[in-house]
Order: sequence, then C-alpha cells, then structure tokens
Amino acid sequence: MPGKPTHDERTVATYCYQCVAGPDLLKVRVEDNIATEITPNFDAATIHPAGGKVCVKAFGLVQKAYNPHRILYPMKRTNPKKGRNEDPGFVRISWEEALTLVADRLNAARAAGLTDETGYPRVAASFGGGGTPTAYMGTLPAFLSAWGPVDMSFGSGQGVKCYHSEHLYGELWHRGFTVSPDTPLCEYLVSFGANVEASGGVCGVKRHADARKRGMKRVQIEPHLSVTGACSAEWIPIKPKTDSAFLFAMIHVFLHEHPRDRLDIPFLEDRTSSPYLIGPNGLFMRDAVTRKPLMIDSATGRAVPFDTVGIDPALEGSFVVDGIEVDADEEIIAHKAVTACTAFTQLVAHVKDYSPEWAAAICDVPAATIRRIADEFLAHARVGETIEIEGMTLPLRPVSISLGKTVNNGWGGYECCWARTLIGCLCGALEVPGSTLGTTVRLNRPADNRWSSVKPGPDGFMQYPMNPTSKSEWISRPTARSAHRTLVPLVADSAWSQALGPTHLAWMMQSEDFDKLPVATPPDVWFVYRTNPAISFWDTKAVGEAMAKFPFTVCFAYTRDETNHVADVLLPDCTDLEGLQLLRIGGTKYVEQFWDYQGFALRAPAVPPQGEAKDFTWIATELAQRTGLLAAYNAAINRGAAGVRLSGKSYDFSLAPEAKHDVETIWDASCRAASAEITDGAESQGLDWFREHGFRVKPFPRLRWYLYPKLVEQKLRFEQPYQEQLFRIGKELGHRLHEQGIHWWDKQLAEYEPLPRWHDLNVLWENALAKHYSVRIADYPFWLITARSMQYSWGGNVGIQIIKEVADNVAGHGSVVMNHAAAERLGIGDGDLVEVRSPLNDTKGRVMLCEGIRPDTLLMIGQFDHWVTPYAKDFHAPSMNALMPMLLDLTDATGSSADLVKVKITRLEAAS
Amino acid sequence: MTRWAMVADLERCVGCQTCTAACRHANATSPAVQWRKVLDIEAGAYPNVSRIFVPVGCQHCADPPCMHVCPTTATRQRADGIVTVDYDLCIGCAYCEIACPYQARFLVHKPHFAFDAEMQNEAERADPARFGVAQKCTFCSDRVDFGLANDLTPGIDPRATPACVNSCIADALHFGDVDDPDSNVSRLLCEQRSFRMHAELETDPGFHYLYGNANGEEQESVRPAADSAMAGGQIRTRGVEPSLQKHWDWKAASNFMCGGAGSGLFIFTALTSLWYGDLVPFGWAALGIVALGLSILMLKIGRPLRFIYVLLQPQRSWMTREAWIAAAWFPLAALALWSKWPALLIAAAGFAVLFLCSQAMILQAAKGIPAWRIAWAVPLIVVTGLAEGSGLFLAATAPFAALQPLAKTVAVIAVILTMLRGGIWRSYLAALKTRGAPTGALAVLYGYRPWFFAIGLALPLVLIVAGFAVATAAAPLFAIAGLCITAAGVAFKFILVTRAAFNQGFALVHTPVRGSGYAGPAVKPGWSLS
Repeated sequence: MPGKPTHDERTVATYCYQCVAGPDLLKVRVEDNIATEITPNFDAATIHPAGGKVCVKAFGLVQKAYNPHRILYPMKRTNPKKGRNEDPGFVRISWEEALTLVADRLNAARAAGLTDETGYPRVAASFGGGGTPTAYMGTLPAFLSAWGPVDMSFGSGQGVKCYHSEHLYGELWHRGFTVSPDTPLCEYLVSFGANVEASGGVCGVKRHADARKRGMKRVQIEPHLSVTGACSAEWIPIKPKTDSAFLFAMIHVFLHEHPRDRLDIPFLEDRTSSPYLIGPNGLFMRDAVTRKPLMIDSATGRAVPFDTVGIDPALEGSFVVDGIEVDADEEIIAHKAVTACTAFTQLVAHVKDYSPEWAAAICDVPAATIRRIADEFLAHARVGETIEIEGMTLPLRPVSISLGKTVNNGWGGYECCWARTLIGCLCGALEVPGSTLGTTVRLNRPADNRWSSVKPGPDGFMQYPMNPTSKSEWISRPTARSAHRTLVPLVADSAWSQALGPTHLAWMMQSEDFDKLPVATPPDVWFVYRTNPAISFWDTKAVGEAMAKFPFTVCFAYTRDETNHVADVLLPDCTDLEGLQLLRIGGTKYVEQFWDYQGFALRAPAVPPQGEAKDFTWIATELAQRTGLLAAYNAAINRGAAGVRLSGKSYDFSLAPEAKHDVETIWDASCRAASAEITDGAESQGLDWFREHGFRVKPFPRLRWYLYPKLVEQKLRFEQPYQEQLFRIGKELGHRLHEQGIHWWDKQLAEYEPLPRWHDLNVLWENALAKHYSVRIADYPFWLITARSMQYSWGGNVGIQIIKEVADNVAGHGSVVMNHAAAERLGIGDGDLVEVRSPLNDTKGRVMLCEGIRPDTLLMIGQFDHWVTPYAKDFHAPSMNALMPMLLDLTDATGSSADLVKVKITRLEAAS
Repeated sequence: MTRWAMVADLERCVGCQTCTAACRHANATSPAVQWRKVLDIEAGAYPNVSRIFVPVGCQHCADPPCMHVCPTTATRQRADGIVTVDYDLCIGCAYCEIACPYQARFLVHKPHFAFDAEMQNEAERADPARFGVAQKCTFCSDRVDFGLANDLTPGIDPRATPACVNSCIADALHFGDVDDPDSNVSRLLCEQRSFRMHAELETDPGFHYLYGNANGEEQESVRPAADSAMAGGQIRTRGVEPSLQKHWDWKAASNFMCGGAGSGLFIFTALTSLWYGDLVPFGWAALGIVALGLSILMLKIGRPLRFIYVLLQPQRSWMTREAWIAAAWFPLAALALWSKWPALLIAAAGFAVLFLCSQAMILQAAKGIPAWRIAWAVPLIVVTGLAEGSGLFLAATAPFAALQPLAKTVAVIAVILTMLRGGIWRSYLAALKTRGAPTGALAVLYGYRPWFFAIGLALPLVLIVAGFAVATAAAPLFAIAGLCITAAGVAFKFILVTRAAFNQGFALVHTPVRGSGYAGPAVKPGWSLS
C-alpha cells in the first residue's frame, strides 16, 4: 500500500454495525500496533450491496479507541446517593473486585427467586440502537439466556424513536419488521418522512443514488427539507402528523377517480381478503361448518369458503348470504339471508369522503398536488407487467411508499402503515419486484430469513404469534414492567418483544401506579450497554429520576455518561476495534440491507485493548462462572446464542458444557460452525481462516427478497384491506382488561378498527398537552420535530471529535432550525440564542434560519442535552427529548408515541 | 498527455461527509483541516427550495493561481496536472491561500489535537513538516504514483485512487484522466452535463460537477427561485457565500500600509533632493517605514527562518519580485542618500516606484479576492501610495521654513494625486459593482467611501486651498492636509486587506437533477451579481 514508509504496517478486516442499517465491512490500517485509518473493504466489493464501503460513522472508530475520556478500568461508586446533582465518586477497582460485586448481587437475586414478589424479573437489561449492541456484546446473550427471565422493557428510545407501528403491523401484514422499497427496480417512490439518506446506511445511500441515476422519481413529503428531501425530485412540506390524510386521499383517488381496471384485480382477488364478505357486526361472514370466511363465486352467485378451488371471486358488491360471524371470545353470531358486502366494497365506501380536497386542508398541501402524486403513482405501477427473477416470472410493480419516524409510530402509525400497505395491494405492489418489501423479521420465528417465517394461519393469511387474549390464556400478570404481553397482542413474544412493548410504561410505573397492575418494583440488578436513556428517551428528567432509584446498576461503560452517572459499577469493555466476535451478514436485514449473499464476518481485534478494557465474551464467561451458570451458558452458546449454532447435521463443534472456555476457543468454534454451515459441512475453517479473510459468504437467492412467491406457493393472502383479526382481538383484549378493572387503556382499545378511520392527531396532541399541563395550547404555536443524522444516529459517538467536526458540515446539527419568515415575524435572527419550551420542559440553542422548513415547525436534529458525557457536554446543542412528555394519552395501541410536541420559542440573546 | 481530474456527481452526493472523514484519515490532517469536504447549500424560498451537496477542495487547476503567486516554488504542478506543495520550501506566507478561489488551502501553525491530549494515533501520524506551511489536497498523489508504478489504473483500482473517491458511499466522486477519451471520467463527462466552479476565473479547474443526464431536456426547473431569495438574503449560506479571508491580517496589511506610504515618501524625497538641500533624513525615514512594514510581515509567515526562499520565484510571483526589488532598492537607496548623486537618486526613486507597483501587483494577482483582483486595484494602490508619499512629505516639511516654497509645489502635486486617487477610487468601485463582487466586500468599501472622500479628498483640498490663501498658516495647514491624505490611504489599505478581502465563496452554475425533473438555476450566494 502507498503511504509513508513505516516500521510495522498491516490491515485488519472487521465490520461496522454502529447503526441498524449495518452491518458493513471495513479494514483498519494498523501502524506499529496503533489503528490509524479506516478504509472500505474492497475484498467485499462484489458481495456487499454498497461495494464494501462504510459510512462516516465508521471513521470515528479510531478516535473511539484512543479517546482520552475512555473509562479504562473497572470502577465502583462511593457515593450511595444517586441523582443528577450527586457526584458518584467513582474509584478504580480491580476486575476481580468488580466482578465479585456484580456476581454477589446476581447470586443474591437468584437466591431470592428469578422474579420478585410482583412477578417482575429481578434482573433487567437495556441495550440501545435497534439491537446493534448484540454485534459487540460477544456472548452476553448466552449469559442472559442461561440466567432466565430478564426484564428488557426499560426502553432507551424505542417506541418514540423507532418505526414502532411499522415493526408490528409490518410483521403482521408482510413479515416487514422494517419496510423498504425494492430500490434497485423501483421507479416511483413516495416517501413520507423516511430519511433514508441519513438512516439507510451505505446500502440505502448507494441503492438510492443508483436509482436516481436510473431516473427513479422520489417525492419526499415531510415538514422540513431533510438530506433525503434534498436528494429527492420533489419536496412537499406537509403539516406534521397529517400524513394519514394524504395517504387516505391517495386511496380515494385510486378507488373513486380511476377505473377499476387500473388496479391489480387478480392480486386483490387472490392475494388479499378483498373478496371476503363482511357481516353485519363487522366480522367476516364464515361458513357455519368450517368457519372459513366466505366469498361470492361470480360464476354461480353462491357464497363459498375462500379457498374453494376454481371459483371466480366477486370483488365488489352486496350479497344475501347465510353464515356466521365469530366474534370476540368465540361468540358465534348466526345469520340467515343477511346482506353482506365484500371487504373491498366496504373499503370503497370507507374512503369515499377522504378526497384530496378534504385532505388538502388538513395537510396544508394543495389537493391538486395530492391528486397528481396519486395519479403518478398509479401511472408508474405498470399493472399487468411481469419480470423474471432467477427463472421465476413475477409481477413487476416499480412503485413504493416509505414511511419515516413520527409517521409510522405513535397515534396515526396504524392508519399510515395500513394505508401504505393497502395502496401496495391495490396496485399489486406488495412483496413483488420493484414494490414495497419487508426486509427482516424480529417477532415471527424463525428470524433467520423471511421465507421460513411464512406459515399458513387461519382465514388464508400468514400465521402470526399474537399474545393471547382469550379468557384462559391472557397474560393478566405482566412478565415485564412494560406489560407488553398483557397490553399489546401484536408485540408477540420473541426475544425482541419486550423491547417493543410500551417501554415508557416501565419508566412511568416507577413513579406512578397503574390501576390493577402489580406495583412496579425497581430491578435488583440493571445492566446497561451502549445506551443512554437518561438523554435518549422522552421526558428525560423523569427517566433520570427513576433510574436513580434503582438499587444496583452495572454499566458497560465507554466514557462517563448521563446514565452511568447513577451506576454502581462501571465495566470497561473492548471497543469496536479491540473485541472479537463473529456476526451473521447478508440476506435481507434492516432498511436497505438486501444482499445477494449471506454468511459471516469476523470482528477481529485490530489493536490491543486500552487500559484494562476486556473482551465482552470474557466478561460474560466470568459472570457465568461466578453465578454458577457455566453449563447453561455453554449450552446456550452451543444452541446458537452467540450467533451460530455450533452443531449441524454433519458437524459438531460444541463447547464442553462444564468447562470455562477462553474467548478465542469460543469464537474458533463459532467460526468452524459458520464455515460448516455455509459449506453444508464440507469445510470447517476456524478463527485463523476468518482472521485472514475477514468474511465468508454463499449466494442468497434474490427471489427471497420477495415474499410473494412464498405466499403463492402456500396459497396465502396478505391480510388486507380488512382487519377483522385485529378488530376481534381488540374486543377480546378489552374484555380481559375490563374484567380486571383496567380502564386506563380504553383509548388504545379504540384503535382496533377493521378499517381505520382518520383521526385529527394535531388536535389529539394539543388536547393531551393542554389537559395534562393545564396550558393554553395557543401559547405553544410551533410543532417541534426531530430528524436522524447519519453522522450520529445509533452510533453512541457523540463524544468523538471527528464525528462532531464533520457533522457540523451538515446544516442543522446543534441548532434550532427555523423558517426564515417565521423567525422574522418574531424578531429572531440567525444565530440568536433561544429558549424552546414545551408544556413540560425547555431547552436552549442557537437558531439556524432556513427556507427548507414549514413556518409552523421547528427542528432539532439528533439527541443531545448531555451534561456528563465528556466533549458532548460542551456542545450546548438543543434536544427535544427533555420536552417530550410521557403520557398515556399520547400512547397508541402498539404502545408507542412519536417525536412531536408543541412548543413556543423565546429569544434570549443576539447572535454572537 | 495525462490530466488527473475529479468528477463529482451532484445528483448522487448526499452530503454525508464520509469523504471528508476518509480524507482526514488517509492524510492524517489536523482537526478541522478538511482537504475534502462537502458543502450543504440551500437555494430558493419556501416552499420552492433546493438543497444541494457540493464536494469541494483543491481543484488542481491547469493554470493555478496558487502556483503563480507562490514566492518559493513550493507550489508546483506535475506534468499530470496535480498541483503539489513542497513542505520543505514553503515559508507559510499564505499568499497561495489568498490566491486560491476555492478556499482549498490550509495553514496550521502548531500541532492541535482532537481532544486535550495527543492520542496515540495522532502521535503515530504526526508530521512536523506540515506545520507553518501551506497544505491542501494532493489528489492522493502517493496512491496515484503507487498505482502507476504497479500497473494499476488510478480511479479504477482502489489502491491507486484518492481516499475520498474510494470512500464515497453514493459513488458520487470519480477520479481519472480527462485527457484519455476512454477513461471513466471522460465517459461520465460525455454522458452527462457538467460544469466547473468559477470557470470564469479561467484557472481551468480539474474538478467537474455533473448535474444531469446529457440526454435529458436542457430545461431548468422553476423549483429554486434563486434570484429573489438571494436578493433578500433568505437562504442558508453559511460556509458558502464569500467570507472574509483570515490568512492576511493587520501584519500582512502593514506591508502595504507602510510600503505604499514609505515608498511614496521616498519618491518625493529622492526627486526633490535633486534641487533641494539635505532631505536625506526624510529618505532614511521613508526606508525605515518600508522596512517596518516588511519586518512586521516577517512576524506573519509560518516559517520565518526560511524567509530567504521568498526569492526563488521571480519568473512568476510578484511577492518574489517585491523581495528582489526591495533587495536592490534598499542598498541603492542607501547609497543614493549617502552620496546624493542625482543619477542614483533618480534610480532609487525608480525602484521605489517599482516597489510600489509590485505591491499593487501582489494584491491584483490574488485571484481568490474579488476586491483585489480587478485591474483598477493596481492604479489605485500605486496612486494612493504616491498620494500618501506627497502627504507625508508635506507633513515632514512643515517644521522647516526653508522648505516652504517646495511644500507649495508638493501641495499642488498632492492635490493632483489626491484628485486622481479619488477618480480611480470611483472607477474601482464602479468596476466592482459592474462585474459583481461579494456583497460583504461592497458593504465595507461603500461604508468607507464617505470617510475616504471626506478625510482623503475634501478636507485636504480645503486645507491646501486655505494654506495658499493664508500664507502664515500654510505650513500647519499643509501638514494636516498631508496627514489626512496619508491616513485615508493607509486606512484604505488596512480596510482593503483586512476588512474588504472577502473571498470568492462557492457557487453553482446549475443545481442538479435528482432522479427526475430538470436541473435548477445558478446559485451564487453573497454576490452583488450572480
């Protein structure tokens, strides 16, 4: 390699998974055993969708390793008092003392019972960034698995800062925990605030840049002109949280302003529930014997079960039929000669009043614009065309709709996700080439690929693992402090479910009782890794106060921060370039991570750990040994808790269960198993091979990007447009909650509508704030929103100088972004120091004036407000997190809210 | 021939700054020293707004002003077009940084670190040769050379390609040989529409911006309503519009303030010495003033111990020429003052004129500063120097009754020079307005205009006329008039160098297509005319 002649120089291949849009592959240049440079890994140029490149965040890793603010030794708290104004008095201790302190607490908790008197787990753990910490925590998942019940419901931002409704409804409707356009084939994309250029990772950026060069038109609909809006063909500044009206109006245009043959009729008839008959009580009309939903055979005019072979289903119309409806709690309602119309006909009637003219006033977007977008979408849908993918002929529908944060979570998330998915169905543009695709599963099993998770369920749809709502099975006693399984059937019960419940309830319950739920206890031991809820959640003041009451908090700590300010023990783990881990790569993962390959990549230590930082696997193994769980821990690793199952049909690299294995032994076994898995047992190269090559892959069929072939194969339908199942389980859930005397979730129960109606969310927000804080909402004239930043989001890198330096090149970072004309009216100038106050709290920052934001909206990018984290605490950047109230009134049925609050702005001093 | 060039696709670029960070890594630059960076520009007025991301850095011009002004030959151009800096020759005068219209050059005087303490990686990559000298993007010439030596194609093989291009996650940056019609970059330039920034300055930059498909319609979108928004200053332009250069401060300005007034005084002293008695002390004083300016300048340069290298580039650099002229003038002037030989006095006066002209040319050659580079700047600097000289001479002769007859003559000359200076000043401002200039620079110059006319023209004229009218008060009136003439000129140069020296800023000829639609109109924020 070129460069100045040096003494000892080498490159080490590793990966970056600092954000959910990873993992991506990179190389580290190491000179004299010091990491000096991050480069792409061009060895992966042909197998990685972005050519082996990594985004700007990866370039913070060198400074991350050598940051003088790192915590390099285990530390313990000496001040028993906890709180923002209490100096923790951390003092350096040995690893032996630190591990003993932690193990003693764990053993005491275990001795007292894995769950406390209220039924909640005694041990809790919070991890940040959409699951990305697992790419750095080695075998800790195996330890947690060996431990037993762990409460993972203390959220650090999920629900309010994730695509929450999309996660849940996306999985239900098309195995789309995250949803993406099929960007390589898409020709027309309507993006409601989806900020792919900031949060889509290198694969997203590359695929969308390629798509632009192909001529894909992307229309960005959002209140401010984000980097994604900047790179779009058109920006439509919509009023915050009114996206559902725009989407409903698009449906109206499709159904009321275009002839039916513009829609994909075969798709609607065969792949959706559109022809299913709806009974008088809003439930499917069913065959009295088989209980299968009925539809009308146009040829005979008879009502037949949906899976009757050789019929021509009637898509529209009202018919007189016999049958039953099955209501909540299996209540049968029998009908004779009752009039029932199809789900499609109900849909047409449902959206009759949702015209573009109606939406225009709500969205502050001209009706002509809404109509034009709908027309362009339909014109680009290419209904009737096909494409061949790996020998199979599939529909080609190069149109898609993306939803961003605050659109696809919180109130309105249901409407938006439903409308987006339904629009796909109307054009046949769901899970087919060019259209809207799911990219990963997290709630269904198995999670290794989406096809495997497709199994036949009732009524011709895919099976979905709802939490039970029947009288006998409903989980009346929550298993975690967010009561996720009790309150949210959709959140299921996978390893990810706890973190996807109403995680703010876990925090709220620490200070207020929820009638008829067990009193929430603080966990005996709370583990924290790569997350900082004290600044990243909503109502951060309340969260900070709640965590200060936890009796024993263990933080795996990189630097001091606002959360580990209340820790009892700080454990320094190896940073990204220092630790060892094998990670699954490829297939389809989050966001735009669609690969034509799948396999494994090694995070090989590029440089030795600084100070006494330890590999996470070493820490997990020590904890397992000190808590007497070594056998269970090893067994969990053998089962695949560290990412790869160590045995298969023709190979077995299982670890001896009783032995304590060193870090390299564990990962060598994982590498061997990975080699064997990829080669069907033919090869078994271990750690040394992966160190030399960095990664190992095999082809991943592109056909698997699309769920449609799997549904056709299993003769299944997408559960659209009519949400009979949700309607019924919502009723059941209501019965259960009311039987228990719980009425504080009633507002959420009302969201279980079979065809979601439009709700005025602006008014909902305003009323909730006015009611809870007794304010005149007119005094808070601005909507405050946030946006992700490629430089910072998920990275936990706010204390890294180079990240701050380059982020400052991107407009808006660290500022209150405000419309020029709006500011002028208030006498506010560029650079002025302002206070932005919500009914809950206030934040301060410098104003950045621009034209690319609505006059009624303020923007604060990212999450700041640090007061301990070295370097970052001197930014004086505003953050909306402290301004966001945690309110049940702002919590939807999935348990999420959205980054949105009303504020007023006051000028404090002139620009310096 | 080969000419390496960069091609940035504005339709692809997302402004992520990965190239910025990769460049910082690959070249181990200090914090905030970004040889490559991406601008984030907004244009238009709500709701018709564009936001464009524009990679910038050294443009490796074919006719690089930085090279022309470099007094030491530290900045050179390779046969393949790459403009280089020899850290061992550079004296850190920052002239190249002023001359570059792209703000591509950096001068770092001492080590500074990401955090308070130096980190291991910073120590490992520390390069003391970089301090106190100019530095900039090299097009990663070490990688290019490595590639060529190993049969690799720069721009195609990552090992032979600049780090910013390698790192670009949108494939927006491309590097290659524009002289090869089959190269990757030539193909892109053929298939797509492109422009070069500030092409009107005729530096032939080697950095091309793609803004749309060549097959697309040549039509501009109505989206960014650039003119109306820009006129009202209603666009976010921080870091984009012209900003006041920070490289030459009062110390650099002192050279022009002292050099003009001192050389002017010397000219009057030398020429009047042909007829009048012992004016030698005025001559020594004049040389002292010039020497003071040059000495203060020495405090400014990054590597003062290498100051002698300033003599290395007489074929191109007016700074070198100024140094050579000074080197010849000072001994000649000393000899003339000592000997009082008329021929030597005339020759020394001639060198003083050359020195004055060289100072004017130094400013005019700085292509990066619109207020300096226009042709009217040269006569303005020269004439104000002469006027200042006449003014100082009037002030200096006031105490001496025997010199009053001479003072009257000089007063008349001073009046002529001052009026001439006023006329040129008007033409200079008019030319700036006509051709377009940074609004910041115009604001400063127009803000100074009334003072310049009041103190530098009107008041001296009144005083001199009064001096002629009231013979008994002529000496003090001439002296005050002379000081006013001098002060106005010196203040003008101080303002010109330190207040009105707004750089070129950044500008786009078109905003790009983004997947669909049309390219947008030009964006040139912070200019009186676009």
